[in-house]
Amino acid sequence: MSRTRSASRTEPEAELIELRDVHQRFGAVAALRGAGLSLRVGEVHALLGENGAGKSTLLRVLAGLQAPDRGELSVRGRVVHLHTPRDAWDEGIGLVHQHFTLVPRLTVLENLALGVRGPSGGWRGGMRLPLEHVAQRAREVAAATGLAIRPNEVVERLSVGDRQRVEILKVLLREPRVVALDEPTAVLAPAEIERLLALLRQLAASGRTVLIVAHKLDEVLSVADRVTVLRAGRTVLEAERASVNARLLADAMLGQEAREAYDNAPVLGRGSVVGGNHRVQARPGHTECIACLERVEVWPAGEAAAAEDPGAEISLDVHRGEIVGVAGVEGNGQRELALVLSGRRAPVRGRAVLPPDPAFIPQDRSREALARDFDLAENFALALHRQGPWRHGPLLRWSALRTTSEKLLTRYRVLAEGTHALARTLSGGNQQRVVIARELEAGHDLLVAENPTRGLDLAASAFVHGELARLREGGGIGIVLLSTDLDEVLTLADRVFVMVRGRLLEVPAAERTRSGVGELMLSASAAADEGVEKEAWPGDA
Amino acid sequence: MSEPRSRLVRRVTTRGAAVVTATILWLGACAGEGEAGREADEPAQFALLTSGPVSDAGWYAGGYEGLLLLRDSIGAQVSHQQTRTPAEFDEAFRAYGNSGYDIVFAHGFEYQDAAIRAGDLFPDMYVVVSSGGRVADNVVPVTFTLEQASYLAGIAAAGMTRTGLVGMVGGVAIPPALGTFRAFEAGVASVRPDVRVLETFIGSWDDVSAAKEAAVAQLRQGADVLVHNTDAASFGVFQAVREATTAGDSAWVIGMNGNQNDVAPEVTLGSADLRLPAAFLEVAELWQAGELGGRPVYSGMEKGTVDYVPNPAVLDRYPPELLARIDEARRTILSGALNVPRVPYVEDEIGVQDGTGG
Amino acid sequence: MKGWKRKRGQAMLERRLPVGVLRWVGATGLAAGALGLTLLAAGVVLALGGYSPLRAGTALVSGALGSPDAFLSVTLVRAVPLVLTGLAVSLAFRAGVWNIGAEGQLYAGALLGAAVGLVSPGLPAPLHLPVLLLAAGLGGALWAAVPALLKTKLGVGEVVTTLVLNFVALNLTSWAVRGPLQENRGIFPQSDQVAEAARLAPLWEGTRLHWGFPVAVAVAVLLWWVLKYTPVGFRLRAVGAAPNAARVAGRIRVKPLTLGTFLVSGMVAGLAGGVEVAGVTYALYEGLSPGHGYTAIAVALLARLNPLGVIISGTLFGGLEGGAGAMQRDVGIPAAWVRVIQAFVILSALAIERWVRARPHSVFVHPPSAPGGAP
Repeated sequence: MSRTRSASRTEPEAELIELRDVHQRFGAVAALRGAGLSLRVGEVHALLGENGAGKSTLLRVLAGLQAPDRGELSVRGRVVHLHTPRDAWDEGIGLVHQHFTLVPRLTVLENLALGVRGPSGGWRGGMRLPLEHVAQRAREVAAATGLAIRPNEVVERLSVGDRQRVEILKVLLREPRVVALDEPTAVLAPAEIERLLALLRQLAASGRTVLIVAHKLDEVLSVADRVTVLRAGRTVLEAERASVNARLLADAMLGQEAREAYDNAPVLGRGSVVGGNHRVQARPGHTECIACLERVEVWPAGEAAAAEDPGAEISLDVHRGEIVGVAGVEGNGQRELALVLSGRRAPVRGRAVLPPDPAFIPQDRSREALARDFDLAENFALALHRQGPWRHGPLLRWSALRTTSEKLLTRYRVLAEGTHALARTLSGGNQQRVVIARELEAGHDLLVAENPTRGLDLAASAFVHGELARLREGGGIGIVLLSTDLDEVLTLADRVFVMVRGRLLEVPAAERTRSGVGELMLSASAAADEGVEKEAWPGDA
Repeated sequence: MSEPRSRLVRRVTTRGAAVVTATILWLGACAGEGEAGREADEPAQFALLTSGPVSDAGWYAGGYEGLLLLRDSIGAQVSHQQTRTPAEFDEAFRAYGNSGYDIVFAHGFEYQDAAIRAGDLFPDMYVVVSSGGRVADNVVPVTFTLEQASYLAGIAAAGMTRTGLVGMVGGVAIPPALGTFRAFEAGVASVRPDVRVLETFIGSWDDVSAAKEAAVAQLRQGADVLVHNTDAASFGVFQAVREATTAGDSAWVIGMNGNQNDVAPEVTLGSADLRLPAAFLEVAELWQAGELGGRPVYSGMEKGTVDYVPNPAVLDRYPPELLARIDEARRTILSGALNVPRVPYVEDEIGVQDGTGG
Repeated sequence: MKGWKRKRGQAMLERRLPVGVLRWVGATGLAAGALGLTLLAAGVVLALGGYSPLRAGTALVSGALGSPDAFLSVTLVRAVPLVLTGLAVSLAFRAGVWNIGAEGQLYAGALLGAAVGLVSPGLPAPLHLPVLLLAAGLGGALWAAVPALLKTKLGVGEVVTTLVLNFVALNLTSWAVRGPLQENRGIFPQSDQVAEAARLAPLWEGTRLHWGFPVAVAVAVLLWWVLKYTPVGFRLRAVGAAPNAARVAGRIRVKPLTLGTFLVSGMVAGLAGGVEVAGVTYALYEGLSPGHGYTAIAVALLARLNPLGVIISGTLFGGLEGGAGAMQRDVGIPAAWVRVIQAFVILSALAIERWVRARPHSVFVHPPSAPGGAP
C-alpha cells in the first residue's frame, strides 16, 4: 500500500477520528480496499478522489450508514462500531447529505424542528414541534457561524444554496464534533460556493471538525487544512495543505499517466481559468443554422420575475460546429430555455425551429436522463426506441438494442457489468457517459447540454468536455451548453450568453472573463439576495 | 450477512417447493380414494349452505340449529358451508354432490338458480331451498308460512296500540317479507280497522343503524307498536324501541323469524316465531318416507314451524280478552277456516295463486 | 482487525448462473416457499383455536388440488376472475396508475355484459358471446374513464376516486337487479339468465371450467408480450418506473399514455365481470364478487406485476379460496376462522415476498423490468 504520511502524523496532536484499513465490497465491485482517514479537532479536511474512488462509501461508513466488511474506527483512541446513523450521532459525527433531506412544503424552522428533541423531552411535551426551542438554538448557532437563513420561508421556495445552508444548520443544531459534507459545492453557483467555503472555515474556527468531499482542486486548496486522497478504494495520500499543490493532488487522484493524458485533453475544465476565451468568432465555414428561436418567451408572462422586464424575448440562432454557452445563476430561465431548445416543451410565445431529434443532456441525471431501475439497454431504448434500426415494424428489436448498447458501452468506456446492469448501480460519471452515448446516438444536428458536468469528478468532467469539443470539431452538430459553472462556459463556448430573468444577454468579447461575466450574473441576483438576512427569527422582537 | 441469508432463502424456497409439491401429490392420491358411493347402512348425509354467519341469532342460526337437530335426531352426518357469491353456490353444491350427500339445505332464495343446475347434475341428491321459488324433481322449495304467526302478531299489535298507529320495518322488499307484512296488516284490521300501519324497507338485511333510523322515524310519527322483518338488522329496531321507552314513551316491539322475546324483554310484546328445526325435520321425514320432491313444501303452524309467542315477561300487560282473541284466531287458522293473506312466489302457486296458506 | 460484518460470494453466485435463470428460479421458489411457510404459520394459529391443523391442511389442499375435478372446477374456475382483475391491477401499477377500482370496474363490466346477454330474442348466435364480452370490457373501461379523466385533466388522485366508484358500482348493480335488469317475474333481486348463445361453454365437459380460463391466460400472455416487445408497452413501463425520465429522455407524452393504460386496465377488469356472468353465474346478482378487485391487488403484488406471474398467483389465490371452502365443509371450521386464515396467508405471502426482495444484493433484488428477463 503506497501511503504517504505527512510529517504532522508524528506530532502529539490528538486524532479525533481515525478510520483504518476499511474494506467494503458491493457485489463484484470492491468500493473500498484499505481506505484510511484521520480527522483532527478544528480542521477543515478535504477528501478527494475520482468518482468511484470510494469517497462516498467512506463517508457512509463514517456516518453509520454502511457497516463495512472490514476495518476499524476509533474516536479519540477508543474503538467504536457504528451500525446505525444514530451510533454516529452519539459519537458526534453529523453528515450533510448530497441529496437534500428537507420537506419542501414545510418552513425552514419546521424542518429544523423535525427530529429535534424539545427541552421537556420531545413529543411527550404536548405533542408539538419544539419550535421555540429550536428557534432559540438556531439563532445561537447562526450568530456563532454567520449562517443566516430566513426561518419562516417555505423550503420549496428557497434557492439550492439556501437549502444547503438549512441542511447544514440542521446538522449543527445537534452539536456535532464532526460535520461531514458530501460534495457540497456540486450544486452551487460560484458566488454561493464562496459563501459556503467561508462558512466551513468559520465552523472550523469555532472548534468543529469539517470533512468535505470535493472534486474541484481549487476549492480544496482554498479551504482545506489537510487533504486525504482516495484512489480505487485505497488511501494514497494524506497531507497538510501547505505541502501539496494541484499537480500533486491530480497525480495522486488519477495516477501519473492518467493525469498527463488529462493534461493533454483538448480543454482544461479544472478549476479557475485565468484569462478570457480566445475563440471569439463563430468559426467560418460552419454557419448553417440548425436551430432558430425567434422572439421566444420561456416563462409564462405572470411568472417573469421582474415586472420591469415584461416580454423577455429570446432570439437565438445555433449553427453547426459551434458551442453556444449560456451562463447564469440558477433559476433565471435556463431550465426552461433548455427544455424549449431540446424540443421537450413548447415556447410560451414566439417561434422555435428545431431539428427533429435534438439530443438533450438534462442536468438531473438520475431523474430526467435515466430510469434508475431500468437496465442500461432499456435506458438506451428510452431515446432509441422510436427509430428505425431498433424497430421491426411495430415491434421493438431488443437484440439490436442490446447490440447497440454493448457497442456504445464499449465506445464510451462505461464501467458497467453489461447491458443488464441497472442504471442506479453506475457511478455518476458512468451514468453521464451512458446519457451522452445515448443522446448522440439518437439525436442529430443539435445537442443541448444542461450542466453536463454537475456532480462529476475531474476525469469524468474532462471526458464530457472532451466530447463536447470533439463534436464541435466534427462540425456536424450545433451545441448549446447551459451551465452554472462559469469556467466551463468560458472555456468551451464560441459565443457566450448570460441568462438573467428570462432574458438572454450576449457577453461582448471584451468582457468574456470570469469577473466580467460573474458581475453580470450577480448584478441581477443581488436584489433577491438582499432580503435574506432581514427577516427575524421568532422571539426576536 | 445478506449472502448466507439469500442462499438460505433460496435453499428453503427450493426445498419448500419440493415438499409442497410432494404433499399435494400425496393428498391428491388419498382424496381420490375416499370418494366412492355411500353404502346402504351408512348414515344419511345432510349439508347446509348459508350466505351469512350462523352466529346471527336469527335466520342463519335457525338453519344451523335445524341441521344439528337432524344430526341428533336422525343420526345424520352433517356439514355446513358459508358461501358468499353465486359462483361459490355452484361450487359447494358440486362438492356435496360429489361426496354423495343426500340433501343439501340451501338456506335462502338466492340459491335457487344454482340449485336447479345442481339438481340436473346430481339426480340422486335433493336440494331444499328455503323460501325458494323454483321446483324440479329433486329441487324442493320450502315455504315457511310465517304469515300465520304474523297475522296473530297483528292482532296483538292492534290490541295494544294506544295511538292507533303501528309500524313495520322490513329488510328487502321480497315476497316472503312482503307476505308477513300483508298478513300483519290483515291481523291488525281484523281487530281495529281504524288503526293505520306504516311500512319502511331499509334495503338491507344486516344494516343495524339503518333499521334503527327507520324505527326511530316511525316512533316519531306516533307509532307505538313496531314489528320488524329485518333479520340481523333487527337489533336496531329493538334498540330504538328500548331507547324510546327509556325516554318515557310507551312503545312495544314484536320480534320475527325466531323467538326474540329475550332480546329486549322489557319492551318486547312477543315474537312471530319461526322454528326452522321443525321445518328441517319435516323435510327429512318426507325424504325418509320417499315423498320429497317435485313439489314445494309448505311448513307452518300445523307442524309447529311457526307461531306467535307472547313474551312471558310481559304477559300480565296483555288484556285477558286480547289473549283469548289470539288463541281463537290460531284455532281458526289451524282448522283451515281462515286463509291468511300471502304474497306468492313459488313457481307452482304463481299460476295457482292462493289456496295453500292454511 | 475485525470487520463490522462480512459478505462475499453473492457475486460468485450471480456469475455462475445466467441472471434470467436466477430470477426465474427465485420467483417460483419464492412463491412456493412463501406459501409453505405461511401455511405452516396458519396451522399454528388453527391449533391455537382448537382445530386440527393437519385435517384443516388436508381439507385445504384436497379441496383445491385433491382431484382433477377439484383443480379444474374449483381452483381454476376461481382463478379466472382473480387472474383478470390481477392483470388489470398489474397493468395499471406498471404504469404508475394506482387503480384500486378493479372491483367497481368488474361490476360495471358484469352489468353491461349481463344487459347484452339478456337481449332477447338475441343477436345472431355466434355474435352474442363476443358482443357480451366486448360490452363487459367497455363497461369496465367506462367505469375507469371517470377516475382516468379526473387524474389526467384535473390531477385528482386516482386512489380515492377509484375506491369511491367501487361502492357506486356496487349500489348501481343492486339497483339494476331490482329495476331494469330484474327477472321478468319481478320477485327476486337478480336478473334472468343470459341467453344460451351468450354463455362461455365448459372447456371440459363435466367440469365447471369454462372458456374464460383460456381467455384470461390469453389476455395475460398478450399483456406480457405488449409490455415486453412493443414500443407502447415499453413506454408504459418507462412512465411507471421513472416518469420524469420518460418525459424528458424518452419524449413520452405521459398523460395520453396514463389515460390509455387506465382505460385498458378498466377494460380487463370489466372483462372479468363479463366472464363471470357468461361462464359461471349466467345471471347478474348483487353479490357477484366477494371482492375479487381487492384480492387482485394482492395477486398482482405477489406476481410482482408480471402478467405471466399473475396466472400463477391468481391460481394460487383461487386454490386458497377453494380450499378454504373445503375447510368449512370437511372440518367444520367456521367461515370467520377460514377468512382469518386466508387473510393471514395473503398477508404473510406478501410480507415474505417483500422481505426477501428487500435484501440487498440478493438474486431477487432485480426488479422485473429488464426485457432480458421477465418484463
